[in-house]
Amino acid sequence: MEEQRDQWGGKLGFILAAIGSAIGLGNIWRYPYIAYENGGGAFLLPYFIALVTAGIPVLILEYALGHKSRSAAPFAFRSISRRWEWLGWWQIGGSFVIMTYYIVIIGWVLSYCYYSFGTQWGSDPDTFFNENYLGLTDSFWIVGGMQWKVVLATAIVWAFTYWLLRRGVSKGIELAARILIPTLVVMITIIVIRGLTLPGAVKGLNVLLTPDFEAILDPSVWVAAYGQIFFSIGVAFSIMITYSSYLPRRTDLSNSAFIVALSNTGFEFLAALGVFSVLGFLATQQNASIDEVVTQGVGLAFVAFPQIINELPGLNSLFGLLFFGALLFAGITSAVSILECGIAGVKEKFNLTRTAAVNWMCGLCALASILYATKGGLYYLDVVDHFVNNFGLVLVALVEVVLLAWVLRQLRVLQNHVNERSYIRIGNWWIYALGIITPILLIVVMGFNFYNELTTRYGDYPLSGLIIMGWGMAIGLPIIGFILQAVRSRDGSSPAAGMGTTEDEEV
Amino acid sequence: MNTGAIIMLLIGAVGLWGGLILFIIHFFSAAKKEAQAEGEDSE
Repeated sequence: MEEQRDQWGGKLGFILAAIGSAIGLGNIWRYPYIAYENGGGAFLLPYFIALVTAGIPVLILEYALGHKSRSAAPFAFRSISRRWEWLGWWQIGGSFVIMTYYIVIIGWVLSYCYYSFGTQWGSDPDTFFNENYLGLTDSFWIVGGMQWKVVLATAIVWAFTYWLLRRGVSKGIELAARILIPTLVVMITIIVIRGLTLPGAVKGLNVLLTPDFEAILDPSVWVAAYGQIFFSIGVAFSIMITYSSYLPRRTDLSNSAFIVALSNTGFEFLAALGVFSVLGFLATQQNASIDEVVTQGVGLAFVAFPQIINELPGLNSLFGLLFFGALLFAGITSAVSILECGIAGVKEKFNLTRTAAVNWMCGLCALASILYATKGGLYYLDVVDHFVNNFGLVLVALVEVVLLAWVLRQLRVLQNHVNERSYIRIGNWWIYALGIITPILLIVVMGFNFYNELTTRYGDYPLSGLIIMGWGMAIGLPIIGFILQAVRSRDGSSPAAGMGTTEDEEV
Repeated sequence: MNTGAIIMLLIGAVGLWGGLILFIIHFFSAAKKEAQAEGEDSE
């Protein structure tokens, strides 16, 4: 059955959805720690440079590719050259893997929204999270059966996400972004204001913002800045290619990219002020230094924050609900975007209806996510997350940029496409950033990641676990991409007509 | 707060939030111009 291609209801809706995609859990629980570890206030310098020389250029590149081809990632690459469809599937594969555990984390967040009422985690949030809530097993290969609290919460998140995606692009994803993103900003602003008024907040802000300019002479700080910008803006997931393919023909692409990139980075800077002001409060209450209480990721959200909430002088439950509610909204808007790129990809490849594509993607992903809802789930989540981010996304981003800049030489074509419909024209800086700076820095980031991996074993996990769930997954994804490329489309053709090329002919 | 931290706070605020505000203003002024142009075309 031929369905009309989905389209955003308006440009503002697209921008909010793209911001919703970019702003995720990492903005709240990763950036503050990365900034603290890499020079404090001085980290802003490499961070700004990474934003301008890599983040924004790659974002514009993906917008241009999706908008010109009017296709999801596999057919967007195929529209330039049939040989490169697999790259789009590799990106979708990475998104699929991320989604299998990301939705479980959102399930934890949902549970903690409930536990916030009356601070049900008690006086020892660490024990509550690992033993009572997750029921964590003693070692990696002990799966331990299902943890039903986690299964229930994940199922509720799945049901809501599925419902949004079934409603379509404008009535589902866009509507959710229009409601959730402004609410999220208000919630984080309230958290920051409350944090700044707590005793000890200044101590935290001093640690976060005091510049250590010697740190920026350390190459690892630059690697951290470029890594943070790439993970944070959400490029190389194929999301931005898919989202821009739903835009009307006449849309200002460059201004949209600047707004999305700056909203994302501005949000994480704001969140960092909130996180470090409350960490300063916690350190003051416990008579400790910030170094003793600072943490990131799961430890920050599910252990440190409950401790902070316990210490607050009043309205503890409300603050908990605000914090976990903000994480929930940030997670949901990112989750729908990660799934949408796969839904669009299989819909085009196999000529499915939207409903069928949503059923297939959500069904398969929900099945896979069961692994992380077991009692050993946190171990598997940690390994898969580490490898998909460090070796999946960075490598796929490098291949994407090198392919479009050097192999297929599409930068001028895409630059013209952007400039024909944008008030802000992109100049040669964009070509140099993508052709030279971004590939070199991505190679350096990859080199660091490989060096660290080969010299230090990640976590205390068994080598068999790292090989099967880490390296196995990272190597398996491009292979699956090749297999999907070899499968003939249901109608035998590509829907992408925008790029105007056949085989490997250059435009 | 110490002086270095205040300066970096200002740099972050002006660079990220100030830049964002400028691009948002640009977005709405462009939308207004487009709406005016469409209105003139339809007349």
